[in-house]
Amino acid sequence: MGLGLFDDVVAAHHPEIYRYLRRLTSRANEADDLAQETFLRAYRAWQGLGPDANVRAWLFAIATNLARNHFRAEARRRRAYVAAGERRAEADPAGPEEEHVFRETRALVDRVVAELPLKQRLAFTLRKIHDLDYEAIGESLECSPESARAHVFQALKKIRVCLNGHELPALEPMR
Amino acid sequence: MTPKHPFCRAIEPDLVATATGEAGTAAARRVEDHAQSCAPCRDELGRYRAIDAVARGLRHDTPPAADEAASRVALQARLADLRSRVLTYGIVPSPMGNILVARSEQGVSLVEYLGEATTLAASRLRELADVETVESSAEIARLRDELLDFLAGRRRELGWRLDLRLAGSDFSRAVLQTAARIPYGAVTSYSAIARRLGRPEAVRAVAQALRRNPLPIVVPCHRVVGSSGMLTGYAGDKLGLKRQLLDVEGVPTRPAARDFRVRRETMYVRAGEDRAYCLPTCGDLPSHSLADLTLIASRESVEALGLEPCSDCRPDLHPIAS
Repeated sequence: MGLGLFDDVVAAHHPEIYRYLRRLTSRANEADDLAQETFLRAYRAWQGLGPDANVRAWLFAIATNLARNHFRAEARRRRAYVAAGERRAEADPAGPEEEHVFRETRALVDRVVAELPLKQRLAFTLRKIHDLDYEAIGESLECSPESARAHVFQALKKIRVCLNGHELPALEPMR
Repeated sequence: MTPKHPFCRAIEPDLVATATGEAGTAAARRVEDHAQSCAPCRDELGRYRAIDAVARGLRHDTPPAADEAASRVALQARLADLRSRVLTYGIVPSPMGNILVARSEQGVSLVEYLGEATTLAASRLRELADVETVESSAEIARLRDELLDFLAGRRRELGWRLDLRLAGSDFSRAVLQTAARIPYGAVTSYSAIARRLGRPEAVRAVAQALRRNPLPIVVPCHRVVGSSGMLTGYAGDKLGLKRQLLDVEGVPTRPAARDFRVRRETMYVRAGEDRAYCLPTCGDLPSHSLADLTLIASRESVEALGLEPCSDCRPDLHPIAS
């Protein structure tokens, strides 16, 4: 792998990796640090990467690993979760009824996701927000694709339980 | 809701997979069929579909583009700094022991004899501040192949782009650049290099700079010997390697007083920067020290330099028997 090509890697993947980390931490400066660290690490390991490697999945794995280390500081994690809930709740404007239900549900889902056990939360985010396959999610979480699938399933079940009794939007909402 | 009926409980994973579009055809059909006749499961299917749609909707919740751009600019500054410091290295087993080869983005920056050692622990890279090392045999593969070809006598030039960052000083850099121009199969002296640099008194400094040459073999300091023709020293205490390298290039040497001496009587001679080459016996050449001479092992090397045969001794008509 040529070193020059790394610029292309940054250009192609930084926006998405940043978005991922920003969602996880919900704080701009933490997402900044983690995204930068992700790419600096990637640069150091870049030359050892095989030509057939899935660069995107590899970057997600590095980012996820860094995020997990970051979250091991439990106190910071709690703070971030609270902030995530507050920020998104404020960001929900009122709208037409259909859209309003959708947004309200989305804010609720977002909050439930933020409170999931970390592995479920990561698996869910990688699958639903970033469309990674279970193979790649397993690499990120250092588990089998089956376990990755189980984490997403558990996350969906918890969301389902938390939304019990809540009015859900009709499919194909207007946005 | 947790379904009550055992069958409904059993089918739940498939139901979720179906709702989120991840079930196989057979499983999806089974779920759809069951949902036809089971109202609670039909309801569950609908709710999971809605949840999946809402969850996927979260992806539209993106941070401000300016934040991402600012983060990327900061990253690029840190990357530029890292790139300037990273040296990628590999360790090459060779007939001359293990050799560490390291390169930056600018070029090859270190070739180091490790002897029996096989890890970075034995390398001076460990002691360098402002350098980050990354091991990558793959990145070094081409250099390794060319180096091994050179050591086996299958290749006369390495032609590598060099990064002289590990040269200790501007003077050392100038010495290395001068030594880099000594052709294959030729030897010259420390004095000759000092003269070429316009510092004829700096013979010891030249020797010191070459002793600490960060790029042995590539910057061929093994082609630099004492004015008397003695090999005198190499990379600290590796005189044997110097003789081995000269051997590979066809430069004849013989043991002499705990050292080796270049057999100048069997080599062609170039005086100073002359465009001609001579037999070693031409005129008063045998009485000259190597301070202003270059000795050349073969006709091939002479021709590679584009030198003319001397019109007095006619080395072209009387080639030295090899």
